[in-house]
Amino acid sequence: MKKLFTIQTYLPILFGIGSAVLLLGAWWGVSILTNNEIPTPLMTWAVFSEMLATPFYDNGPNDKGIGNQLVSSLIRVFSGFGAGSLVAIPVGLLIGSSKTAFRLINPIVQILRPVSPLAWFPLGLLAFKAAEGATIFIIFITSVWPTLINTAFGVASIPQDHKNVAKAYGFSKWKYITKVIIPFALPHIITGLRLSIGVAWMVIVAGEMLSGGVGIGFFVWDSWNALSLEKILSAILIIGTVGLLLDKGFDWLQKRFAFA
Amino acid sequence: MTLNTLTAPIDSASEFHKIQSRPASIEVKDVSVSFKTPKGVFTAIKNIDLTIKKGEIVALIGHSGCGKSTLMGTISGMTAPTSGTVIANGSVVKGPRPDRGIVFQNYSLLPWFSVYKNIYEAVDSVFKNKTAAEKREIVEENLKMVNLWTHKDKLPGQLSGGMKQRVAIARAFSINPTILLLDEPFGALDALIKGSMHIELLKLWNMDNRNKTIVMVTHDIEEAIFLSDRVVVMNNGPEATIKEIVEVPLSRPRNKKAIVHDPV
Repeated sequence: MKKLFTIQTYLPILFGIGSAVLLLGAWWGVSILTNNEIPTPLMTWAVFSEMLATPFYDNGPNDKGIGNQLVSSLIRVFSGFGAGSLVAIPVGLLIGSSKTAFRLINPIVQILRPVSPLAWFPLGLLAFKAAEGATIFIIFITSVWPTLINTAFGVASIPQDHKNVAKAYGFSKWKYITKVIIPFALPHIITGLRLSIGVAWMVIVAGEMLSGGVGIGFFVWDSWNALSLEKILSAILIIGTVGLLLDKGFDWLQKRFAFA
Repeated sequence: MTLNTLTAPIDSASEFHKIQSRPASIEVKDVSVSFKTPKGVFTAIKNIDLTIKKGEIVALIGHSGCGKSTLMGTISGMTAPTSGTVIANGSVVKGPRPDRGIVFQNYSLLPWFSVYKNIYEAVDSVFKNKTAAEKREIVEENLKMVNLWTHKDKLPGQLSGGMKQRVAIARAFSINPTILLLDEPFGALDALIKGSMHIELLKLWNMDNRNKTIVMVTHDIEEAIFLSDRVVVMNNGPEATIKEIVEVPLSRPRNKKAIVHDPV
């Protein structure tokens, strides 16, 4: 009889425990070396569990629960990312399918893409006259590029075979876009979205440090001002976990829409 | 000769002459095709003249790279001739049109659509004025014809090579073209499936009262003789021309074994 449970079954769990031990060990080492200036995992856990116990409390504008901070940040990220995607996908489809559009727009993309998100912040302030708008603007401008480039690449790499089908059976422009271009480019588009949401989540922390208000980035900055390293470390863990979950979500989408 | 007289099977030895008295389906007139390459201009085919009658099956045969696919491309409209004209069904070919159904060498099914949807999208694109029910009926009829109705919900990736080829053929038939262009249609299939696909193709052609003109590119001589009325042999490229046109005076239905043992 085949054994149902072997060491193989438990390997993922064992490796999970292994990496947790590695991380906590290194962390503890640093705490000891810095004479607890960097709090130990145990000290952090005490603060962290307290934060998680009442995530949605609200004691005025400068004292809100971690859940409130997270939700505000996520709303900003998805607003900027959503607007960015709405621009990036159509533009990507355009420059991927037209050589002229590619030659016109690609240089602009190449020159704007490497610009640090924070450099856009003053422009955002000028345009929206508010920190909130400016933060969403920098999320928008930095999350546009990966989706745009991946979409364009996906569209440009459509095999001649698929184009021939559309030609031979006289597909209309609309049918060609919706039944050939988009289905073929969809996995590339989702890869682009996955990279974009990752960038957006990285940028939000920096953006909120500049803009203030409610959000996970501001929370980190506020905790530094209150000299609570435990809160900062807890926030880092939360930022990392949320980032991982967002990535997993798009990974699932990617698998869901992969063909053959 | 009216089309009605053709509805009866024509199995006599004189069928070849009957075909030759039919109207022309495809006229290739002094066609040359050149491509620009980094090494200069490459002329694939030169001064080709060929007339194919309605309901005729013609095989283009020759070595790899001799320009037979290029010639086929000018008939389908996928390749524009550098000089000369191709006339299909009485009008000059300026690009692909659904009166000429194409079966591509590598099936060219859209991998994200089911078998059913692959055919439906083609039917939907060509018969814009038909109702959805009529279009569904056409798809069903053609899928049943190639015995793939039970596989209608599968994706192309889940099918064998022979099944994909049948879907591609069903798709080409579903838009009811008067001319059927097959570019090495059975090249990727093993000998056994190839044989049954030949029979399958002739069956479909018979069911349509042998009214469809079929042009096929192949490098399988046996296949060419078994299926076609005339075999167009091409010279080696570049600047390929027609070497000779061989008539196949065998009556139909043909017997594959007999052909192998008693070659013309």
